[in-house]
Amino acid sequence: MSNNSANILDIKNIEVRYDNVILALHDVSLKVPKGKVVALLGANGAGKSTTLKAVSTMLASERGKVTNGSIEYDGNAIDKQTPSQMVGLGMVQVLEGRRCFGHLTVEENIISGAYSRKLSKGDINQELEKIYTYFIRLKERRKSQAAFTSGGEQQMIAVARAMMAKPKMLLLDEPTMGLAPQLVAEIFNIVKELNTKEGVSILLAEQNTNVALKNSDYGYIIETGRVMLDGTAESLLNDDKVKELYLGISKKGRKNFRDVLKEESLKKRSN
Amino acid sequence: MANELLFFMEVLVGGLLAGTMYSLVALGFVLIFKASATFNFSQGAMVFFSVLAFCGFMQDFNIPFVLAFILAAFLMVVVGLCTERLVLRPLMNASEDTVLMATIGLGYVLEGLAQAAWGVEVRRLDLGIGDFPVPWIADNLKLFISALDITAGLVAAIMIIGLFLLFKYTKIGLGLRAVADDAGAASSIGIPLKHIMLLVWSAAGVVALVAGCMWGARAGVQFALVDLALKALPVLIIGGFSSIPGAIIGGLIIGAVEKILEVYIGPFFGGAIEGWAPYVLAIFFLLYRPEGLFGEKIIRRV
Repeated sequence: MSNNSANILDIKNIEVRYDNVILALHDVSLKVPKGKVVALLGANGAGKSTTLKAVSTMLASERGKVTNGSIEYDGNAIDKQTPSQMVGLGMVQVLEGRRCFGHLTVEENIISGAYSRKLSKGDINQELEKIYTYFIRLKERRKSQAAFTSGGEQQMIAVARAMMAKPKMLLLDEPTMGLAPQLVAEIFNIVKELNTKEGVSILLAEQNTNVALKNSDYGYIIETGRVMLDGTAESLLNDDKVKELYLGISKKGRKNFRDVLKEESLKKRSN
Repeated sequence: MANELLFFMEVLVGGLLAGTMYSLVALGFVLIFKASATFNFSQGAMVFFSVLAFCGFMQDFNIPFVLAFILAAFLMVVVGLCTERLVLRPLMNASEDTVLMATIGLGYVLEGLAQAAWGVEVRRLDLGIGDFPVPWIADNLKLFISALDITAGLVAAIMIIGLFLLFKYTKIGLGLRAVADDAGAASSIGIPLKHIMLLVWSAAGVVALVAGCMWGARAGVQFALVDLALKALPVLIIGGFSSIPGAIIGGLIIGAVEKILEVYIGPFFGGAIEGWAPYVLAIFFLLYRPEGLFGEKIIRRV
């Protein structure tokens, strides 16, 4: 599978419907360059999870379907693949809400990530040790039942489990949801490390705009199923509209993006 | 006094051992419930189908016992394969209720196929183990306990240990436990649901065959086996639908309780209460502990 283009993921104008009726994404286009971290930002219901699931082909299990546009991963169109085939191609999604296997031990959870690979016991142990170098906390808790670990640890389990599949690309859906700021930083440090040391490209859906942008190379902001704004992480962090809407540095109450754009066009007209 | 205690012991042990026969049937239900969160209504038909095929191989084709058993087990794997391919895969994204209805239909298909292939008359299944008290135990412990009951107990124990090892120490076992916990997350990391389904349906088929042999040897291989399998329902309600130890212990409780009630309370109701007593017990469980003894606690946010 040779792919000379610089993008590992290229989403072009996709439209997604659930149950053939409910339009969840109107028009989303985004690119993830190889080896980069891209943040997908937006509020609840904006379409972040739907975008990720369209890529990992997990939409089908929720009766969703890409009804328009195309998704290209590593130079090949994603169309009829199953989620397990996508894992085989090196694309792994870490679902929203961690979704650990509660009755399995921490170590069993992580090992289950290697299910799609044909590894010997020795190879698995070697991989495990490598994974534990990133997730030191988990090594201490390897024998505990996953359901009894903390939220932060469960998020680490979910990422570690995905890493066992040896992905070229990770889709992280709200990895910091409900975590204390200290843990948010810890999770992002690990994500950054995996990105630089293991060369994994990352597409990250987050509501935590500030931290997400600080740890990404590029960002997209979506609202009601449409990309509203995109740019390098730095430019978005310094963007006045983003500041006002997502970083909480606002003089007035809460607004959405469309209101801001409307205001701007009104201003232009009155000038 | 001593005689009365001895009699109670006999009733209790006999009940417990008979209970393992319920456990065997319940095991098949648990396997499938774990993987697909569906109550498999065709489990009774699978018991009937498998043991009738086993008898057919032996009696119509004169295939020796062991070979016939292996053939029947293989046939159940084929049934599992067909079920996965023809029923479950097309319903992959359907709701659990739809799958539940499909298992009812599958049950009718299996019953029909079995009778079309092997006829409708009751067959005798001779395992070479009599359903009469073991003389050694009767002489030494003064307890009258059936050899078939003891065999059923042993077989159930072996099956449970085997399944436990399979789930705990093999890769596909790990996959099954992962799917049982969270099928969506399992598929997100590349565990192919279809392999897991194939495994549990085949395993449930083989378990059905073993249970069928035990019941068939006692009551004859006949259509009534289908309904007998529904005795597993109170077993599961008591033990918990998703727990293998629960199926075992639930079976033991049902076996012991129904025999004890039959002997000591039955006369006041004119006897034959073992037919319905387990269901009464199940109702109490549904009222006060709906997840069963070992089932996962059902938590809902209100």
